Amino acid sequence: MIGIAVLGLLSIGTEMRAWGRVRRAQEGSTSRSVWDGVYTEEQAKRGEEAYRKECASCHGDTLVGGGGAAPLTGGTFLSNWNGLTVGDLFDRIRKTMPQGAVGKLTKQQDADVLAYLLSFNKFPTGKVELQKQVEFLKDIRFEATKPNTK
Amino acid sequence: MFLPKMKKFGCGCALAGVLVAMPAVARAQWKAKDTEWASYAADLAGTRYRPLEQINAANFNELEVAWRIKTDNFGNRPEYKLEGTPLMVHGVLYATAGSRRAAIALDAVTGELLWIHGEHEGARGGAAPRQLSGRGLAYWSDGKEERILYVTPGYQLICLDAKTGMREPGFGIKGAIDLKQDDDQEILPDLTTGEIGIQSAPVVAKNTVIIGAAFREGMTPKSMRNNKGYVRGFDVRSGKRLWIFHTIPKRGEFGSDTWLSGSAEYTGNTGVWTQITVDEELGLVYLPVESPTNDFYGGHRPGNNLFGETLVCVDLKTGERKWHYQLVHHPLWDMDISSAPILADITVDGKPVKAVAQPSKQGFLYVLDRLTGAPVWPIEEKKVEVGTVPGEWYSPTQPIPLKPPAYSRNGVFESDLIDFTPELRERGKAIASRYKLGPVYTPPSESQLDGTLGTLTVGTASGGTNWPGGSYDPETHMVYVFACNACAEPIGLVRAPKEVSDMNYIAGTAGEEVKILRGPGENAGADSPMPPKKRVGSGYVALNVDGLPLLKPPYGTISAINLDKGVIAWQIAHGETPDVVRNHAALKGMNIPRTGQETYNIGTLVTKSLVIAGDGQITTTSDHPRGAMLRAYDKKTGKEVGAVYMPAPQSGSPMTYMANGKQYIVVAVSGGAYSGEYIAFSLPAAE
Repeated sequence: MIGIAVLGLLSIGTEMRAWGRVRRAQEGSTSRSVWDGVYTEEQAKRGEEAYRKECASCHGDTLVGGGGAAPLTGGTFLSNWNGLTVGDLFDRIRKTMPQGAVGKLTKQQDADVLAYLLSFNKFPTGKVELQKQVEFLKDIRFEATKPNTK
Repeated sequence: MFLPKMKKFGCGCALAGVLVAMPAVARAQWKAKDTEWASYAADLAGTRYRPLEQINAANFNELEVAWRIKTDNFGNRPEYKLEGTPLMVHGVLYATAGSRRAAIALDAVTGELLWIHGEHEGARGGAAPRQLSGRGLAYWSDGKEERILYVTPGYQLICLDAKTGMREPGFGIKGAIDLKQDDDQEILPDLTTGEIGIQSAPVVAKNTVIIGAAFREGMTPKSMRNNKGYVRGFDVRSGKRLWIFHTIPKRGEFGSDTWLSGSAEYTGNTGVWTQITVDEELGLVYLPVESPTNDFYGGHRPGNNLFGETLVCVDLKTGERKWHYQLVHHPLWDMDISSAPILADITVDGKPVKAVAQPSKQGFLYVLDRLTGAPVWPIEEKKVEVGTVPGEWYSPTQPIPLKPPAYSRNGVFESDLIDFTPELRERGKAIASRYKLGPVYTPPSESQLDGTLGTLTVGTASGGTNWPGGSYDPETHMVYVFACNACAEPIGLVRAPKEVSDMNYIAGTAGEEVKILRGPGENAGADSPMPPKKRVGSGYVALNVDGLPLLKPPYGTISAINLDKGVIAWQIAHGETPDVVRNHAALKGMNIPRTGQETYNIGTLVTKSLVIAGDGQITTTSDHPRGAMLRAYDKKTGKEVGAVYMPAPQSGSPMTYMANGKQYIVVAVSGGAYSGEYIAFSLPAAE
C-alpha cells in the first residue's frame, strides 16, 4: 500500500497486490501548495548563502547533482517529491544532510535552504517565510505543476 | 604487503556473526545452476539472463510482494541510493545494504535475515570516494567451502564464510586485504585519506578474484596528479596477489608511448569502476576502463592515453594484455566504459563468432571478436571536430561503428529540441542558443558569458547506458539495453584558479564560482569547504522549459539489438510519461505517446519470454498511486505485457531465481523520500 515504508524496520512478508487495479490514491488533504507563495525572497537569499557553503560542493552550484548526489532541480527532483509535502523534503534534509555532518545546520538554516530550492525551481515567492517546524511544513503540498492548470 | 594496522580503521570482526542454521550442501564440482543468480550480472558473461518462465506475460500482473527488507539499519543512517543486485545460491540470498555497506544473507524464500557483516572503518571510510552500499558482492565455492567477497567503502577486500558471515581467517590478514597496498604505487597522500575505492561487485572466476578501482567524480579535479586505477587478481583461497594490470602503462610498457610529455607518470584515475566480465573457458578477462584524470580537459595528458576508455582483454591467470580496443581516443567527454562487457556466441554471415558486445554512454554497441579484439562489423576512424580550448590535445579521428546503428541519441542538433508546440520549441531554441551544438565527439568548449556557455552534449557523463549495463539472451542472440536518450550535459570549461586546481581548465559555468565538486560525504565535518566568493553574475541556464525536458522524447528507451545481424529489432520508450509532462498546462489536450523517463540508472533482466525493468522516476496516474512500476515486455516484440507497483523507483537492477519451486524477482528501490529497500515479488500460492 502507499506509505508502506516502515522506516528503520525490517518489514518481512508484507503482501501487496499488483497495482493495476488500485484506485488512484487521495494524495494530501492539505490546503496549501508550493504554488501559493510559501517563502520569501529574503529567505531564499539566506538559503542560497547556506546552500553554497554547505551543499553546493556535492549538489553543484546549479543544483544538478552528480555522482552520488541527487539533483535538486529538473525532472528527477520534481518527480521524487511531487505528491509529498514540503515537510517531507525538510525531514529528509534534517535527517541526512549535510552528509557526514548531519545536524550541522540549524532548523532555521534548513528552512532557508529549502526556500532557496523552491526559488531555484521557480516556485513563486510570498510574503511569509517558510517555518522551521516540520509539522507546519507538512501542511504544504509539493506539486510539480500548478494545480489549477492540470 | 598487507597492512598490519588493520585494526586502526577496522573493527576486524563481524558486527554480528549469528547464524541461523543452513542446510548442509554436498557438492563435488560446484557450478551455478541456471535457476540461481551466482554473480552480479547472473553469470560471468554479463548476461543478466535466466531461462525461467514461471513468471510470464499471462501472470505478471498477479505478482505480489513475497518479502521486503528496508536497509535503513545497516548503517548509522538510511541511504536513498540503493544500487545493489543480490546473488542467490542454494536458497540463500546475499547482498550489500545500507550506508555501512553491510553484507547480508537472507533466506531466499522468506527474506529472513540469516547474518550480517559490517566493517567500521572510521576516518578511512569517511574519506572514501565511493560510499554507501555499493552494487553487490561475489560468491565462490569449490563444492565444499562457500565464500562471499566484497569491497568496503574504505577499499578493503573482505572474504567471509558464506555460511556464517564471519571473516575467513586464512584469506589475507584475518579475512581482509588492504587494497590500498601492494598496488605498484603509493596511494597518496596516505592510507586513510588516499583517494581510491570501488562501489561495484567483485568478480570471481575459477579461483581468481578480480578488483578494479574508482575515484571521485572527475570533472573538477584538484590536480592533474592522482592515484591510478590498476586492476588486480587475487587468489580466492589465500588472498595472495596473482597479477596486476597497469591501466596507465608504466615506462616502457605497451601503450606508454600514447602518453606524451611524460604525462603517464602523474596522470591518475583510468580505473575499472564498473563490472568486469570473464570467459572462464577461454581464460580471458574483459576490462572496461574509464577516463583518465579530468573528464573534460586533457591538456595535461597529450596523446591517445591508452588504456583510457579502452576495452582491454587480459589473461585470467596472469593479467597479461591479450588485446585492446580503444573506444575513444584521448578521452574528453566522460565516456567511461560504464558497464559490463557482454559475451555472446553469435552467428554472423553463417559463421560462428565468439563476440563481446560493449554498451556505452555514447549509444554505440561495440561488437568485437572476443578472441582477437577485431570488430565484427567495420568500425571506421572518422574525422571529428578539433576544438579550440588552449592547451588541449585533440585526436583528429574517433572510431565510429557502422553496425549496429547508435541505439540512443549521442549528439544535439536543433532538431533534437523540444517541439510539443511552436512556442515551446522557440523557448528551447533560445536555451540551446547559449551552447555549442553538434554530433557525437563535438569537443568541449570554454564557457564564456559573452559567447557560448559550453558544448551541449548528450551521451556523455550520464547519457546512453550507464553502470546497470545491458542484458543478453544467449538463445536468441539479442541484447536488451536501456539508454537515457535525453540526459543533456552541458560541458563548459573554465580556467582554474591556482588555489582551486593546478590544471589549466576544469568543468564550470562562466560567471559561477570555480570550485571542486565532491562526492557525497567528502565535505563532512572539519573538512569544511572554502568560503563562498562573490559571483560575477551567473551564466547558468536551466536545461528545461517550464520543467519540460529540453530534448524531445523519447527520454529513455529499451532497445533490442540482434547481434547476428547488427540491427535494432525493436525500440520502445521505457518508463511512464513524467507527471510534469502529463499534467503540463501547455500540453493540455495533446495526445502524447509514452515518453519514457530521463534517468540513467535502469538495468534490465531477461527471462525465457520477458524483458523486465522498473521505472526510474515516481509518477501518479489514474492507474496507480504515487510510485513506480516494474514492467514486463514481450522480448520478441517489446510490447508491454504487465506491470507491478513499487513504492519508489528502481535504483538497482532486478534479478531472478527459483526457490522451493517458485520464481522470485528481487529489485532494489529508493530515491527522494524513500530509503533503500529490496523487494521480492512472486506469484500468489495456487488457490
